[in-house]
Amino acid sequence: MSDHDHQHHDHDHAHGHDHKNRAHPSGTGEIDLSRKKAEAPAPEPIPAPVEDAGSQALSEALRSSFVIVKIVMVILVIVFFASGVFTVSSQEKAIILRFGKPVGTGPEQLLGPGLHWSFPYPIDEVVRIPIGEIQTVTSTTGWYATTPEEEATNSEAEPGPSLNPAADGYTLTADGNIIHVRATLRYRISQPLDYLLNFVNASNVVQNALDNALFWASSRTTVDQALTLDKVGFQEKVIARVRDLVDRQNLGIVIEQAEVRTIPPRQVKNAFEQAFAADIERRKARDDARAYANRILSTAQGEATGIVNAGQTARTRLVQAIAAEAKYYQDQLPHYRNNKELFAQRLRTEFLSRILTNVEDKILIPERRDGKSREVRLQLSREPQNPVDPNQQAAQQQK
Amino acid sequence: MRRNSLTLFVGFILLIIFVLLLFTFQVRQTEVVVVTTFDRPTRTYSEQPGLKWKWPYPIQKVYRFDKRVQNFEDDFEQTYTRDGYNLLASVYVGWTIEKPAEFFNSFPAGTAAAAEPTLKSLIRSSKNAVIGRHPFSNFISTDPKQLQFAEIEKAMLDSIREQALSKYGIGIQFLGIKRLGLPESVTQKVFDRMTAERQREVERLRAMGEAEAMNIRSAADRDRNEIIAKAEAEATAIRGEADAEAAKSFAVFSEHPELAVFLLKLNALEQSLKDRSTLILDERTPPFDLLSGSLSTNSNRPAPKTP
Repeated sequence: MSDHDHQHHDHDHAHGHDHKNRAHPSGTGEIDLSRKKAEAPAPEPIPAPVEDAGSQALSEALRSSFVIVKIVMVILVIVFFASGVFTVSSQEKAIILRFGKPVGTGPEQLLGPGLHWSFPYPIDEVVRIPIGEIQTVTSTTGWYATTPEEEATNSEAEPGPSLNPAADGYTLTADGNIIHVRATLRYRISQPLDYLLNFVNASNVVQNALDNALFWASSRTTVDQALTLDKVGFQEKVIARVRDLVDRQNLGIVIEQAEVRTIPPRQVKNAFEQAFAADIERRKARDDARAYANRILSTAQGEATGIVNAGQTARTRLVQAIAAEAKYYQDQLPHYRNNKELFAQRLRTEFLSRILTNVEDKILIPERRDGKSREVRLQLSREPQNPVDPNQQAAQQQK
Repeated sequence: MRRNSLTLFVGFILLIIFVLLLFTFQVRQTEVVVVTTFDRPTRTYSEQPGLKWKWPYPIQKVYRFDKRVQNFEDDFEQTYTRDGYNLLASVYVGWTIEKPAEFFNSFPAGTAAAAEPTLKSLIRSSKNAVIGRHPFSNFISTDPKQLQFAEIEKAMLDSIREQALSKYGIGIQFLGIKRLGLPESVTQKVFDRMTAERQREVERLRAMGEAEAMNIRSAADRDRNEIIAKAEAEATAIRGEADAEAAKSFAVFSEHPELAVFLLKLNALEQSLKDRSTLILDERTPPFDLLSGSLSTNSNRPAPKTP
């Protein structure tokens, strides 16, 4: 810039003094400048004398170069102001610091997505804040030491008999046991001004809060709750604690999600697995017993219904049988009254004839001539086909 | 003339810029600034960002510090609880430069790193003192009354806050326990205990499973017997009702009981001789007495026999 100014002076000067000092059509900037200062108040314009061709060419050249310089200056000014244009993407917000102070008040300070303009540095400074994306912090303070190679191959070295506090992390449960805990927290920046302008490293603060929450939650949870019985409750305790801490510290974030993983130390893994298996066994035994109970009870219900039904049937049968007999009795009563002996004889004979048609074998034993009783021997066979000895039967049928 | 005034204008602008550069400085939103006059702190800015005046360089100097919350974690170190347990603990703090002048006096370098050794020794003494006042059960406990996790953190914070602020101009914004642990040799003992505990748990679970199953089974058996007994009682009651009902019908038979008995006998006999029976009869039994040509009626002797 100052160079341009010099040239400018040069040019001016050349015009004004040509008539006086033609021997020096041009000189160094310094000399010219001093002369110019001396002659600045001189009356102008001085009528231009006739110039020789050389000086005219020179003044032409200077004039055209001055035009170029002017254009360059204008371009530079435009570039200077245009450099203040910037865009904000949808994933971020921006604030303008004018002489270090945020422009606007409250929510107006935040510039949304789009094209914006600010004065160039050092007047204004644009600070961008990532806002849309989910931030993640992971806490491994409660986890045993793993090398990157192990992480990559998902394999683990055989653990030593104890945990080295310098390398291995763990938390202490309420009942004085050791567990490993690992947590991943996802959060969104809800108050970008707080998050960005109040903290040197806000994500580190979140990390510390998460670490603290793991120990805090462990300190009030028993090993069984944390590992098996109430994993969800443990996770909720962690989240609640982190939430509490970030609210108190005005971090300006919203917790979206947290995953908490708890495992028993590898040194006692087998013991835990055995206990786990025993628990499964216990549940199985209980379920079996319940199945047995269900089965036996439903069978019993069936049996009971059967018994009651049998009772009902017997009742019906008995009542009806008696009723039928009573009716029969009443029907027969008049005949009986008429002649008892005849009635009995008739009924008995009727009865015998009826049953004798049903009976398979009929054996008649004749009376002995001497009137004594006859001895009859029965040989009972187990064979259902031959209920009576065939010889005896034949002998008797002869009579 | 026009050109001359333009020249003057440009020159004036440049002069203004130059003067501004010499006589002003910026205070950013995130900074606190201490201005010294001949190396003596005279002014501080912490809440008023913007453009400020000052005398040029050798007279007044400007020192900038970060106003934002800085993090610091101390070492994971061993200390003793009141009841003599070895406990390893580390805490984190969030601190800010609250009083720039005091901070500048204590740490002319003005960086966080310069303040950290001081902060560390402050925290360490406070941590040891506070942990030494609490028994181990205040750190971890199943009993919420015993557990004083938050109280311990607060006690540490309170004990360093005053000192840090008045001596060093450091404001402690928050403090929390970052890690707790046990010495390495103790962890092994804990593992032994955990293993023993698990084994007891296995025993307990087994016994519990057996007992539970047995309870369920015996309860089921009992219920079953009850159900059957009830059903039988009901059936008996029903039969009783039936007998009672039948008894009413018996009244009919009272006129000529011998006929009723005779009919019942006949009926019973018929029922018992329903099928596949063998009868051995005396020849004189009617109607077989016809075979011997007699008219007399003698006693009959049926001998039913079911195969």
